[in-house]
Amino acid sequence: MTVTADTDSEFAVVRPGVTLTSLSAHIGDTVLRPKTPRWWWIGFLFSLALLMVLVIATVWLFVNGIGVWGVDIPVAWGLAIAEYVWWIALASGGTIVSALFYLTRSPWRSAISRIAESMMLCAAASAGIMPILHLGRPGLFYWLFPYPNVMGIWPQFRSPLLWDFVCLLCYILMSAMFYYTGLLPDLATMRDRSRRRWQQIFYGILALGWRGSAVQWQRYKSVYYIMAAIMAPMVVSVHSVVGLDFAGGLTPGWHSTQFPPYFFFGAVISGIALVILLTVPIRHAYSLHAIITEYHLNALAKIMLTGSLMLGFAYFWEAFGPYYGSEVAERTMFTERAFGFYAASFWATIALNIAIPQLLWVPLVRRSELLLCLIAGGIIVGMWFERFVIVVTSLHRNHIPSEWGNFFPTLWDWAILAGSIGLFLTLFLLILRFVPIVSISEMRELIDCEGPG
Amino acid sequence: MSEPALHGLIGEFPTPAGIVAAARQLGDSGFRHLDAYTPYPVKPLDELLGRRRPWLAVTVLAGTLVGAFCGYFVQIWAASIDYPINIGGRPYDSWPAFTVSAFEMTVLFALTAGFVAFLIGCRLPLYYHPVFTAGEFDRASQDRFFLCVEAADPRFDAERVGDILRRHGAERVEPVRG
Repeated sequence: MTVTADTDSEFAVVRPGVTLTSLSAHIGDTVLRPKTPRWWWIGFLFSLALLMVLVIATVWLFVNGIGVWGVDIPVAWGLAIAEYVWWIALASGGTIVSALFYLTRSPWRSAISRIAESMMLCAAASAGIMPILHLGRPGLFYWLFPYPNVMGIWPQFRSPLLWDFVCLLCYILMSAMFYYTGLLPDLATMRDRSRRRWQQIFYGILALGWRGSAVQWQRYKSVYYIMAAIMAPMVVSVHSVVGLDFAGGLTPGWHSTQFPPYFFFGAVISGIALVILLTVPIRHAYSLHAIITEYHLNALAKIMLTGSLMLGFAYFWEAFGPYYGSEVAERTMFTERAFGFYAASFWATIALNIAIPQLLWVPLVRRSELLLCLIAGGIIVGMWFERFVIVVTSLHRNHIPSEWGNFFPTLWDWAILAGSIGLFLTLFLLILRFVPIVSISEMRELIDCEGPG
Repeated sequence: MSEPALHGLIGEFPTPAGIVAAARQLGDSGFRHLDAYTPYPVKPLDELLGRRRPWLAVTVLAGTLVGAFCGYFVQIWAASIDYPINIGGRPYDSWPAFTVSAFEMTVLFALTAGFVAFLIGCRLPLYYHPVFTAGEFDRASQDRFFLCVEAADPRFDAERVGDILRRHGAERVEPVRG
């Protein structure tokens, strides 16, 4: 059974009545219209305010050092690391939708791939700042690069932390190229539709003179397939290596071989959740009901449910391991995680990521935008708690009882969280204003396949 | 100032079916300097007008190999030749630990090679092309299908080409100069 088999008869991927002309006009106008809608300004000012919080919190952090956060021994990895993992998982979800489901030729992927990829770039920016903020001396982050230096030394290539840096850097560069390649034909459409001078120049330069000739399309198709085929294993590796950061440590609760796939499952569920949370409002704001239909939401909901089941599987083994094995520290830590000071965070994780998403088995829930958004929002919060639980509760009951202790986030910890959300939203709203948020050229192919509209 | 040289004759089709039929007939009659400009990849056109050469895949493969070599070499050279450090008695060439970064460099080089090869293969960036001056060419990226028969073709004959284009449903046929 395919992901969307049961809805084929009820809902179309593209509603009848969408033509090549109306599609280009509709999507083009969302970007080229002279008047910026009010909802955009409200959202943008709100995001900008949050971004200012990030600026202030970062300046304060750089001036005073990471002592302004709640991190201390034993919990020396705090919210910055938890949020790094959280953001990179959200980013990975975007690539999963756009690359993995391109290879499976899923028809619902076309209308939402741009949303997913834009989300990926913005979330990767929020993820990328976290490790740098967490460095005690952020000015020296370039020591991670293997550059010839007067000290004559090199980075430690055997360390998962360095692998992670390499992964993130490659991921962002590759995603940018993948994004731009997919965008190129749409930029040409924007160039040809724009009537104002600055828009013609802006989109004209970005479109590189794309003409859509037969040879160009042929090469476009081959390179896009190749890129998708490279991006799909790449995104699996990115989040798996984040898992290795933890698995490489001896801390109870981290030192586990299941971490790479476990983290990837988390990326699937939380990334799809964020795609849903963005798609639903965009669908209404830009009146995209004809091309983002119930079919898409239903497909996304099913993948989210699958992600939830995979994650539940990983949670089960995470709990099973300590009690089956004979490591006392593991057992102490896990008992403390589930019933100790941080028990509420642990059970919030289970409830929001595993229990509540089971509602998605009911077709009625998958059809309700409101319920979908609530469940997706719950998952995003739940995944934040999961990262918090993994990072903090593991460290707070380490091997030696004399170093046990709790972690209390400070105001500056929360400011960084709020600020990173501000950075994400600001970038995303800018993309929403200047980039066609639906891949028009791919939608044209879909309309062509579905018969004349 | 004299008029710019004739680039070719362009026909504007409202449907993909028309342009495919016209391209097929022109191809069958021996025309080789043809190009189609469409808002999305129209299936048979790449077979009729495209060039099937595996060079894109070959470039990506070359990028893959170069990336794998560089990614691995930087690590092994730094960690076991230039500045060997004994860490926990592990071998200097602890290759399993080097595979992750080497893999990332491999895929980065592969994708970059594909991206660059794509741009070069499409002759991009190219900000001026004679077809941009054709009447409604801005609709080639939206909802119209254009077929251009270039004057460079030895069989080029404006009247005959115009007839063929019109017969297959071209709503407008005009010369392109530039």
